[in-house]
Amino acid sequence: MDYQRTSLDEALPEGQGLRDGSAASGRPGTPRQGQPPAAMDPEAFSSASRDILAAINTVIDGKADAAKLALTVLLAQGHLLLEDVPGVGKTLLAKTLARTIDCSVSRIQFTPDLLPSDVTGVSIYNQASRSFEFRPGAVFANIVIGDEINRASAKTQSALLECMEEHQVTVDGKSYKLDEPFMVVATQNPIEMEGTYPLPEAQRDRFMARISMGYPDKEAEMEMLETHQAASPLAKVTAVVTAAEVAAMIETVRQVYVSQSIKDYTVSLGRATRESGLLRLGASPRSMLQLLRAAKATAALDGRDFVLPDDVVSVAESVLAHRIILDRKAASTGETPQSVIRAILARIPVSPDMAGAGPASAGQGARGTAAAPAATLQNRR
Amino acid sequence: MTLTPQRSAGGRPGQSGAPAESGSFLAPGSPGRQQPRTKAGAQPWLMAVSVAAAVAGAALGLNGVLRGWAWYSPVLSTVLTVAFTMAGLRALRWRSVFVTAGALAAMVLILTFTFFRPHSILGFIPSGQTLPQVGRYLRRASETVLAESAPVAPNAGIVLVVCAVLGLLVILIDALAYPLALPATSGLGILAILVVPAMIKPQSVGVLGFAGATAGFLMILAVSHWFAPDPRTGADTARNPGQFRRGAMTGALALTVTLLLQLVIPGFDQGTFPQGSRLNPFGTATGLNPMISLGNSLRSPSGEGRITYATNAPAAPYLRSVTVDNFNGETWAPDDRDSTRRLGTGRMETGLEPAAAEVRVVTAVDTGQFTSPYLPAPYAPEAVNGLTGRWSWDPATLSIKGVDTNSRNQQYVVLSASPQLTPDLLAQANGPVQGVPEQFTAIPDNVPDIVRTTAQTVTEGSTTAYARAMAIQRYLRSIEFTYSLQSPVQGGYDGNGLSVLADFLNQKSGYCIHFASAMAVMARLEGIPSRIAVGYAPGRSTGGTVSIGGQGALPEYEVDGRDAHAWPELYFQGLGWVPFEPTPSRGAVPSYAIEAQAPSGASTNENNDGLLPSISANPAPQPTVAPLPLPGAAAPADPAVRLLPVLYGAGAVLLLGLLLASPRLARTARRRRRLGADQGGAAAVLGWAELRDLAMDFGVPPRPSETPRHFSDRLRSSGALGDPDGADADSHRAVRSLTADFERRQYGPPPSGADHVPETAAPETAAAGTAGGGTEAGRRIAAVRGSLGAHARPLARFRAAWLPPSVMASWRAAVVAPFRAVRRAAQRAGRRAGRGLAGVWSSTRGAVRRERRSRGS
Repeated sequence: MDYQRTSLDEALPEGQGLRDGSAASGRPGTPRQGQPPAAMDPEAFSSASRDILAAINTVIDGKADAAKLALTVLLAQGHLLLEDVPGVGKTLLAKTLARTIDCSVSRIQFTPDLLPSDVTGVSIYNQASRSFEFRPGAVFANIVIGDEINRASAKTQSALLECMEEHQVTVDGKSYKLDEPFMVVATQNPIEMEGTYPLPEAQRDRFMARISMGYPDKEAEMEMLETHQAASPLAKVTAVVTAAEVAAMIETVRQVYVSQSIKDYTVSLGRATRESGLLRLGASPRSMLQLLRAAKATAALDGRDFVLPDDVVSVAESVLAHRIILDRKAASTGETPQSVIRAILARIPVSPDMAGAGPASAGQGARGTAAAPAATLQNRR
Repeated sequence: MTLTPQRSAGGRPGQSGAPAESGSFLAPGSPGRQQPRTKAGAQPWLMAVSVAAAVAGAALGLNGVLRGWAWYSPVLSTVLTVAFTMAGLRALRWRSVFVTAGALAAMVLILTFTFFRPHSILGFIPSGQTLPQVGRYLRRASETVLAESAPVAPNAGIVLVVCAVLGLLVILIDALAYPLALPATSGLGILAILVVPAMIKPQSVGVLGFAGATAGFLMILAVSHWFAPDPRTGADTARNPGQFRRGAMTGALALTVTLLLQLVIPGFDQGTFPQGSRLNPFGTATGLNPMISLGNSLRSPSGEGRITYATNAPAAPYLRSVTVDNFNGETWAPDDRDSTRRLGTGRMETGLEPAAAEVRVVTAVDTGQFTSPYLPAPYAPEAVNGLTGRWSWDPATLSIKGVDTNSRNQQYVVLSASPQLTPDLLAQANGPVQGVPEQFTAIPDNVPDIVRTTAQTVTEGSTTAYARAMAIQRYLRSIEFTYSLQSPVQGGYDGNGLSVLADFLNQKSGYCIHFASAMAVMARLEGIPSRIAVGYAPGRSTGGTVSIGGQGALPEYEVDGRDAHAWPELYFQGLGWVPFEPTPSRGAVPSYAIEAQAPSGASTNENNDGLLPSISANPAPQPTVAPLPLPGAAAPADPAVRLLPVLYGAGAVLLLGLLLASPRLARTARRRRRLGADQGGAAAVLGWAELRDLAMDFGVPPRPSETPRHFSDRLRSSGALGDPDGADADSHRAVRSLTADFERRQYGPPPSGADHVPETAAPETAAAGTAGGGTEAGRRIAAVRGSLGAHARPLARFRAAWLPPSVMASWRAAVVAPFRAVRRAAQRAGRRAGRGLAGVWSSTRGAVRRERRSRGS
């Protein structure tokens, strides 16, 4: 077992237990304790999000997109899967994101011998009180960084599943609520690497988005060498928002308006993945929900209170690519999940009146949108 | 909650950029619901005045197609009634469809009131009796159109049709100019009126018609510009002096081109500027070669070479230009006996003493544009006064010929004397012919046999010369012969000369040349000296009078190319040359040559049914040419100048023009509809649709899988809009605002009723949605359109204007849709049939296998 609490955890003000992660703060617009979080006003939202992204960008050079997507997932109440070869800054991104927020963070280094109880916690018999008492595991934090998650055994991986999906832990028949916000940022090496247990489809489906970090470009790499030589840049990062503020931001995102045509578009995207001849497994209905939530977060980060098709398009690849499984034939022809998603995006009519030729009314267009993928798919076969 | 405030601050640059300008621009325009009532109230009335002025003005040009002016008052009342009915209904804010229906009803009522008052209820409501009357009037109109040449008498039928057509045109023009907001296109309707006189009248449209139509059209344009300014030009208001300069330069250029063009186009020398004239290669040849050009003149639909004359003769006389007397050779032409011609026409003494009492007639002639070396004059001229230039006359034929001048623009007075001939007198003049030059009696060498035998057969049993002449005339005017301008052309015997005669006598169909020469040649065969006179048949009364010194006001007549005529003159001893009229249905048979019992042809031009009494105000001058019933069979054989083909042609031209312009019209109408002021909340969506169509027209077609923002970015980066920072910054801003508005409208929360929209944002969205919505979108679209047009190549610009891909695509889709549906149905049926067949096949195979297996076991 190899997990540790970060210093931030200890830095919580007194009286704030693990179960109560939201910190009281003097910032305007933050909710009071015990009340459901109220939405943030737009200026505060955009300044807060700007601050977070700026803080991340001081640490990780040239990965603004990844940082933004990470924040998007946080605000959309999803979980993030960072997948790439070792040493491109996966863990650094996760840690930086966690540090910018004034909340409890725990980090679990997954190894093959990690036990489920290490993640969730365990009931220990207290001699003094003569009762079993629950010792919470590493998952009891606002942000849980699961490093190299695919190195753990399937049993441990699935222990994390319940937490991720239900935001609660069940030990010895008792359920313990996790704090809000709750986000798992898992990193993993590509499944071909040695000593890995690939995440099963079901578990991959619980992650809202997968980001491939990719290598930095030349300038960013040079700068990284310059700045990171002396000291860890992480040390300079301080929290820019509180957990309560994040909760308010999440509430803001929740209230972003989704129009009927966006729902139509999302659904037709999902159906297109399921009907595609190139895929063995298409996107699940849950993924549609997550896609929409990610799109809402993107819209809010863009300063809008309604979702545009552009928001859906911008997150579709990250949200959908890790859930779909290529047909064997398609894989052999060099298709990748990403390319299939891109092809589908290039094919599905965006909006009702985009499908019609002229000033078609919304009702006619909606039917056209639904009919179009089927027609194109038939042509493909 | 909303995130809009930062957007509303910077997201509408088009509006925030120049708020003062857009405000002042919006004030006069956009007849939307927010407009003050007074402004919107005045527009229908002013538009009605303009449309009525345009139609009534263009109708002025119909004078000349219809005779006189009496038809104009019913036309005017119809036009005004229809126009003002529409204005009234518009002022009451009826819907366009009902306005049109109301105008139609008003037209029916006013037409009933004008034409069918006795046959209607209360004098203006159509009743059961009205319908048969309408049928009668329409029959009359169609008879007129079929049988008469312009100018036609304005009988009730034709006036009814004219009124109805003009009333409908008022509705059409009004519809184009007002609800469809295509004021410039409404000119097509006005053009439709002008086309008719332009093709029929010899002097084309005429200054009046042209000026009236132009003034009305300009008024329509002005009214529509004032009340619903085109956003494109509206942005460039009168404050900008460039507009006037451009206008002046365009006008000057058009004027120059028009003036130069008529120098280049051959034959473009008739009529006066600005309406010019028609192309007619025969235009200058009027009368130069009478025998040849006569058929052409008769067939010409325009009837040029108009001559007016006033006379104190009881009936309009024949006007004679020249005689043809040498019948030898392939073609006959006037024999120019220049050696015997005498100069000076002041006194033309032949020295022959007439045997009968003579009637002296004074005729004042104005030749106008008629150009010929010979002077038209009534027979037999004794003195011609008032001529300019030097003229000579031939004592043998009394033809008057210019020495160094021609007949163009001559005004002169002819004193002519003709003997009062009677059949008795002519019958007595049976003595042997003496003193007549040989060229009038010489029998041609090559007279075809049929002419000889016919002459013998016809005159058999006639004893006197007069009886023989009458026999020949009777024969030619008999029912066997038909008058036709076309059959000689089709039969290949058009022209003159003896060879033609044989064909003519076989076919028994031809026109005056053939009849006259047949009679002349047959007369010579029978021993009567003869010649062919070429000139004009008696003309029509113009209704006007001309005052001549010592004669008072004389009735005026007019003739033109279509009255060109040829007739034989036969010589009777002691009486001189006597004209006859062998051509059926043309001219007027002289009193001495009328057969008591036989009906004969007469002028067909009298068709006034007395509806309009002013036309027949002076019927007195024409007792001898009184209308005689037309032989039923002969009527359709007179193809002189028919209105029908002209009308069909005008309609076809109009249709073709509309057809060619229809993509553009459809595109413009679609744009107007989208950018109209009443769209309210849908303005953003319609503006966006218009932007997509515009981009498509200019070669940046939107893709269905593209997000609005992506399309907008692609359009702006495609270069079609030009430089985003320079002169075209406006249009880039406009595209951005259109996109933002559309996104908010399409994907944003509904503006009202949503509880999560905070109060601060509500007025903002409401303002964007309704207040400036329609015209704001219009202004933006206009900016985008301007930039797209400025940066497109000429060909692309032409295509965008006349064959817009957006319209063509939707039309193509409409055409293809049924085929696609059929194909899909066929595919479905095929699949079902295939499945059925497969089922049958597999069950059969299964049965065979089972059978085989059971046998094997």
